[in-house]
Amino acid sequence: MRSDLVILVLIVGGFTYAFRFLPTRVDLSALKPDSLLSRFLASTGPAAIATLFVAAVLPELRGPMTGQGPLVAGILAVVVTFRVTKSVVGATLAGSLAYGLLFAVL
Amino acid sequence: MSDTDPTSFRQGLLAALPIALGYFPIAFAFGVAATGQGLTGLEAFGLSAFIFAGASQFLALALITGGAPILVAAFTLVAMNIRHVMYGPALYKRAGPGAARNQAHLWAFALTDEVFGAALGQLARGRKFSEPFMLGLGLGAYLAWLGGTAAGAFAGGGALAGHPALQAGLAFMLPALFLALLLSILARSHLPVIAIAAAVCVGLTLLWSGTAGILGGMIAGAVAGVLGPRAQDAQ
Repeated sequence: MRSDLVILVLIVGGFTYAFRFLPTRVDLSALKPDSLLSRFLASTGPAAIATLFVAAVLPELRGPMTGQGPLVAGILAVVVTFRVTKSVVGATLAGSLAYGLLFAVL
Repeated sequence: MSDTDPTSFRQGLLAALPIALGYFPIAFAFGVAATGQGLTGLEAFGLSAFIFAGASQFLALALITGGAPILVAAFTLVAMNIRHVMYGPALYKRAGPGAARNQAHLWAFALTDEVFGAALGQLARGRKFSEPFMLGLGLGAYLAWLGGTAAGAFAGGGALAGHPALQAGLAFMLPALFLALLLSILARSHLPVIAIAAAVCVGLTLLWSGTAGILGGMIAGAVAGVLGPRAQDAQ
């Protein structure tokens, strides 16, 4: 492995592990349920996942409207499948399948 | 501990299935892209083994092949991953007081966006927090990521070039997984948080950069969760 790549991997891997592990040592036992930090942390999950979803589809949304059929089909397939099955696996696969199929047709 | 114990390692592995299904093809695409851009199979595998953060690995490829200085590239990627600092405390907040953390040094390595989302979804649906479960969940995701990278690197650059529909469907796997995870934890009270996170993410991405959009969207959404009840109180 090239030395510059090793340096990159060590820095990014080390910091990423620290970002994931060190905050788990924070003691939240004294945190009151209605405190500001408590509400902040409770909102972090939905905010993070919503942001990641938007960031993932945004490049495609910035493209021409006419090319967004697969995206719409994929999103609809995820929503409908999840509502019917309550399965994250099924919804993910259905969305991917619908996207790929419509991409092939168009 | 039995195999059907909802807090067991095995149940964690099973819960990792949707993530593994999403990760394998994306990691495959990463392996293909990495070898297509001149990295060896071992280098591609090393990126996945030690960083284990999909979006930043793809960005790493772009930075490396774009000729960015190595320290600039490294700290760009570090900045991109800083969002992960919120995940551990958010999980323990949801897990409640007394949740074990003796093995966090192991499972936290695999606390990616999707593992965090899946763990939060499981807790929201009433599963008790346990470290063996988290280990299983993280390991399942990690093995799928490594397996996909190895398969993609083995297949070599351009392996998906002749199958654009397959490539497109696989590329949508990750957004589909995020959306499904979001639906799995969704409650009416989250709607303002989601709307503000999305709006800030779009705005900052358009005005500044994708990394700023992700970090800003997460923080703005979480802050909206803090301010929301106060706004209601004021009405």
